[in-house]
Amino acid sequence: MIDWLYLAAQAAALAMSAWFFVDTARSQRVGRRHFAGVGVLEVFVLAQLVAGIAIVPGEPGGGAGLFFSYLVTALLVPVAACFWGSIDRSRWGIGTVAASGLIVAALLLRVHQIWEFQIHVG
Amino acid sequence: MSAEPEARRRLADGFGRLIVLVYIVFAVSAGARAGYQVATKFSHAPLSFTLSAVAAAIYLVAAVAIIRGAARTALAAVGVELVGVVAVGALSFADPDWFPEPSVWSHFGSGYGYVPLVLPVAGLLYLLKRRREG
Repeated sequence: MIDWLYLAAQAAALAMSAWFFVDTARSQRVGRRHFAGVGVLEVFVLAQLVAGIAIVPGEPGGGAGLFFSYLVTALLVPVAACFWGSIDRSRWGIGTVAASGLIVAALLLRVHQIWEFQIHVG
Repeated sequence: MSAEPEARRRLADGFGRLIVLVYIVFAVSAGARAGYQVATKFSHAPLSFTLSAVAAAIYLVAAVAIIRGAARTALAAVGVELVGVVAVGALSFADPDWFPEPSVWSHFGSGYGYVPLVLPVAGLLYLLKRRREG
């Protein structure tokens, strides 16, 4: 994984989550600006996936299956949370999407561990 | 306060949404990981991997029960989950030999940022609050 890209994606996930939790406290409904925020995070995760497809096959380790399944999950979770959260009338609609940012951060952490210990070895 | 004539709030509305999302993510991740471990190295740590699979199943039951509004099933699943994480967590400290590889619930879910311990407590508080409200 490209380190600066990984760190940027982590920062994006945590920043989006913090922003959305603030909006949870302010009882905001899921709106267009939130979709834009999720879109930005998705671009970062997608960039990881593209970089992974380019880099991983040339690496010695054998953890590619795990690596890509975690990355694809990280890509899907915020989209699912957006659908699931946007049909809620309470503050927890956006709260659900905020939680998905933390889930993405955790998944990316696992992806990075798999990269360090099972793919980019030797 | 809210005197709006709107449909009755379902179990999966409000904070229940966040809980359901986390349950589904845990059901999928614990389930997929347990399936992978059982398939590749079951004899390594049979107890750990079996318990992870059981945990994944309970997460799935809890998520589906909350989505479908089955309050008692949800309460039972979350209760079993809390007992499970506390019992397995304590056992893994008392006798680490039984857990050569971590499971979702061993060491109180430390491998998963203690979310497996926080989740049933949050779920139980939410379900009991909703039950009081009727």
